[in-house]
Amino acid sequence: MTVGLGLVRLEALTVRQLLDDTSLTPKRFANLFEGFTYEFINYVQNPDVFLRTKIGDCDDYAILADHVLSHHGYDTRLIHVRMMGRIAHAVCYVTEDKAYLDYNNRRYTFNLERCKPDIRSIATKVARSFEANWTSASEFTYDYATDVKEAKFTVVKTDPPAQDPDRGRY
Amino acid sequence: MKDPTIKRVLALFALVTVVLVAVAVHAVRQLNRTVTASDWVNRTHALINELEGIAAATQSAEGSLRIYALTRDPRDLAAGRRSQVRLADHLEVAGALARDQAETARQVARLATLAESRSAFARELGSAPPESLATLFAVDAANTAVEELLRLVERLVTEQMNLLALRDQESFLQAQATRWTIGLGVAINFLLLAAGAWLIRDDILMRRRAADAMAAANAQLESRVQARTAELSAANDRLNLENLERRWANQALEHQLRYNHLIINSITDLVFVITKVANISRINPAVEHDTGWLAKDLINRPLPELVRLTAGDLPLQRGLKEGHDLRDLPATLLRSEGGEIPVRFTFYPLRDGNNVVGGVVILNRATA
Repeated sequence: MTVGLGLVRLEALTVRQLLDDTSLTPKRFANLFEGFTYEFINYVQNPDVFLRTKIGDCDDYAILADHVLSHHGYDTRLIHVRMMGRIAHAVCYVTEDKAYLDYNNRRYTFNLERCKPDIRSIATKVARSFEANWTSASEFTYDYATDVKEAKFTVVKTDPPAQDPDRGRY
Repeated sequence: MKDPTIKRVLALFALVTVVLVAVAVHAVRQLNRTVTASDWVNRTHALINELEGIAAATQSAEGSLRIYALTRDPRDLAAGRRSQVRLADHLEVAGALARDQAETARQVARLATLAESRSAFARELGSAPPESLATLFAVDAANTAVEELLRLVERLVTEQMNLLALRDQESFLQAQATRWTIGLGVAINFLLLAAGAWLIRDDILMRRRAADAMAAANAQLESRVQARTAELSAANDRLNLENLERRWANQALEHQLRYNHLIINSITDLVFVITKVANISRINPAVEHDTGWLAKDLINRPLPELVRLTAGDLPLQRGLKEGHDLRDLPATLLRSEGGEIPVRFTFYPLRDGNNVVGGVVILNRATA
């Protein structure tokens, strides 16, 4: 079952299959979600439920991507971007690909959004895709075992970029 | 480029361009300021949202703990913990959003301390044996951390609302200033364009008037030229006619003169034309032939040196003076080889009006 995940759409993927697929890349991971639909759920779903129902939100997708791709050795980061009048939007940034995975982009092709690694650039690009202004963005972690999101740091748009906590890190 | 109207129009258009550029630069600056102001308004809104999220998450967490106190169901405790996780998330974001306001940041830090005390209480509940839960809740009843947290949130929200009103006012004033600037710039440009149009219209009218005046002058000049040409043509015709008549008259005169010469020259009598003082002015060929003198030797010589009246010079002098004829008087003619020839002397005075200006002397060979 570990062979051909990127070529054949399986009806019911499991997290285990994704973790065991040694050929999985961010691009091939994103390809698997073309048929998924969006529905806001105010908690992080069990990933197998998300994969089985093919229904979820940006948190479910970004956290699963972070979980699976970091397992395969990719340097991933979870980013929350807050915009006025909208629920915070989560994306998963992959440093090796210099791009982020966004549940709003579930096309089979061109499903990685190329972007600079600093959180301000990511927030700006995400907000632009919504045609909105962002107010703040946080890098956070999530653990399926404890079901706890933990913010690492937050960048505010109106703060001077020189004061960004991730300034000079990338 | 020396046309002053073109210079003025170009200057006007340069001014219009300057105004347009100035308005555009100012509008872009104002737009950037408005965007910045909007970002600050959004930031304030976001902070208010986070503060309200803190209040909601606190109440949700507290509600779950109260339910847990009644049900002892671990799911309620878990729900309370999830609310506290959300609370922590709101606190993290609120802390970041309040970084630029020292007092607000300090109060958000106080909120975090209060929230942490409630998280500690939840953790204590989770690890406590069921029989001690009642005691723990009884002790917690006197805890005012939640009330303080909610009051603090309410105060912070009020402050942020005031700040929001100020920022909104600033944004409104900037938008109004932008409207005024653009409106003023457009009005100035319209005025400048109207001035340009007036200048062009004035110049066109002036040029049209000048062209009309020039056309009228040309027409007048043309008629004058035509009249003058007609006059000249008529004068030329007259001159041509006069010339023709004069030529005919001259030809007639020359013809007459030639006949006169022919007549005089064909006369075998000797003819002398003399002046008032009796000097010879002209002769006919018969004189040269009969005397042997050449004309050049005789012209301007006194006639008495060549012709001597038998009666002396007096009759000729009186004839020249009084202007009467002398007819057939005896005289002698001196020849160039010497010797004299007897001749008959006749004199006719020449008159110019009433004055005698000379005379004609005719000598006939005297017959024996």
